[in-house]
Amino acid sequence: MKMIWIIFKKEFLGFYKSPLFYLIAFLSTILLSITFSMGLQNFAMTISNSMYQMGVSSQQMNIHYSVFLQHLSFLNLMFMFFVPALAMRLIAEEKKTRTFDLLLTSPVESFQIVIGKFLALFSVVFSITLVACIYFVISRRMFEFNWGPTLVAAFGILLVGAVYCAVSLFASSLTENTMISFSLGIVFNISLWILGGLSEVFEGPISKPIFEQISLNQHLQGMIEGVLKTNGLIFFCSLIFLFCFLTERLVESARWRA
Amino acid sequence: MIEVLNLTKNYGDRTAIDNLNFKIEKGDVVGLLGPNGAGKSTTMKIITGFMSPTSGVARIGGFDVFESPLEVKKKIGYLPETPPLYLDMTVEDYLRYVAELKLVPSAEIKKNIEKSLLKTQLLSVRKRVIRNLSKGFKQRVGIAQALVSNPEVLVLDEPTVGLDPKQVAEIRELIKELKGSHTIILSTHILSEVQATCNKVIIIHQGKIVAQDSIDQIEKMNQGFVTLNLKTRAAKNIKLILEKIEGVKSVSASDDLTYVIEMSDRADLTDDIAAEVLKSGAGLVELVRSKNQLEDVFLRLTYGQGVNQQENHQVTNEVLV
Repeated sequence: MKMIWIIFKKEFLGFYKSPLFYLIAFLSTILLSITFSMGLQNFAMTISNSMYQMGVSSQQMNIHYSVFLQHLSFLNLMFMFFVPALAMRLIAEEKKTRTFDLLLTSPVESFQIVIGKFLALFSVVFSITLVACIYFVISRRMFEFNWGPTLVAAFGILLVGAVYCAVSLFASSLTENTMISFSLGIVFNISLWILGGLSEVFEGPISKPIFEQISLNQHLQGMIEGVLKTNGLIFFCSLIFLFCFLTERLVESARWRA
Repeated sequence: MIEVLNLTKNYGDRTAIDNLNFKIEKGDVVGLLGPNGAGKSTTMKIITGFMSPTSGVARIGGFDVFESPLEVKKKIGYLPETPPLYLDMTVEDYLRYVAELKLVPSAEIKKNIEKSLLKTQLLSVRKRVIRNLSKGFKQRVGIAQALVSNPEVLVLDEPTVGLDPKQVAEIRELIKELKGSHTIILSTHILSEVQATCNKVIIIHQGKIVAQDSIDQIEKMNQGFVTLNLKTRAAKNIKLILEKIEGVKSVSASDDLTYVIEMSDRADLTDDIAAEVLKSGAGLVELVRSKNQLEDVFLRLTYGQGVNQQENHQVTNEVLV
């Protein structure tokens, strides 16, 4: 536990001292601010003018769907690209600068290295999600809405962010080239969505449910509507576990592959 | 303290080290000597638990490196070929992190950092970011990193690479200081470094140990021959005259003025040689017994016996560069 804390602390402070983190935080707040205010303005127009309401589905008349969810799905899109960028320094860069040798010759187990680094990366995702939630808090001062579904949806995006963390960390452990690690991370993150999308393609009585069950979208959908399901939670947690485990194996393999 | 039994490591088809056996007692300073690619770094990586051997056992303080790696790693300070530095950290923060990683009790961390900064003379740069330090400073931060946990065993892979002559001397001084309280293995291809700091040498060539003993013993392995370096005033070929002296094994002329004479160590022929040189009218400028006994043994063992003295010295220069 102590080792995990030591590694977490080092990586956590490392993030908050690196220009890359601030660049990403800056970009995401700017982009979120622009899209959120635009979304809110559109919504206000639709609501106030009966002309605009013609032919618009009832879902779009709901602030939860038309503003908040758009906001969160934009956050999700950003995570897909930003998390691999943050993850590349965690293992790939350590391998490249040979500091990984220090970790491997210290009295620390591979799983402690991986968990420490995963938690540090997740803390960044968590803090960006918190920043994204400020927009809801501010909106709340202007008008009433139901907190519940919004928070569950935000929690859903946080979980997806955690999956990206594990996947990007895995990509980072595959190579010692940071650019390859970054690109692989993005490819993996996107393929997670594509894999789920295959449920649309397959029509078979067996294959369709299988793809539905491994679809991120399917599990996130419930949360977006404000419903927290155990199978969804288990799905996300097992994905996180799977990729952390694979990363741990790769870190461990450095000892005998060299 | 350190025990290595039948250690073998293959990289695919290539055998990096082949059936190594050696034992190092507590407090010894051992030089691992060999040409580039002899298997020095591989041996060190296995001892530190960084990589696993193909077969064989390495034990530190009675603990098998691969059965109980955590115990072993607590006892070891390791400086790899490339110092493992986080370039975006300050020297002090970096040393604190390493101390924490090596499980130094928190009460002792501050004291240990001060001590290793002092020993490696880094106090003036403690607050500087490592990225901005010169190569020599970076190398010293690497050494400080190995010292910071006050380990029983220090494994230093070419510790003086990239340092200027004064710093090299300081690091050798430091290693001598640590002698006794720490068991130290250092690898190098610089022979004078071994002579200056170690009390035992292990010479590795092509993955095999070709000699291991104390420095004195190894120097005696020069098969009963010593070498003399001669420099004359006038260019006069006296090679034949010198070769006629009884006890002289071979004479090779580097140029018209300088000769390398190999002779039996049983008789002291210095007087005879000097007399002959003066008699020939060449004039004597310099006549010294070669101090590079270890070097001769090393070259003999690694570059083969058939090499004549002249070639030896050319090779030596390459090795020393």
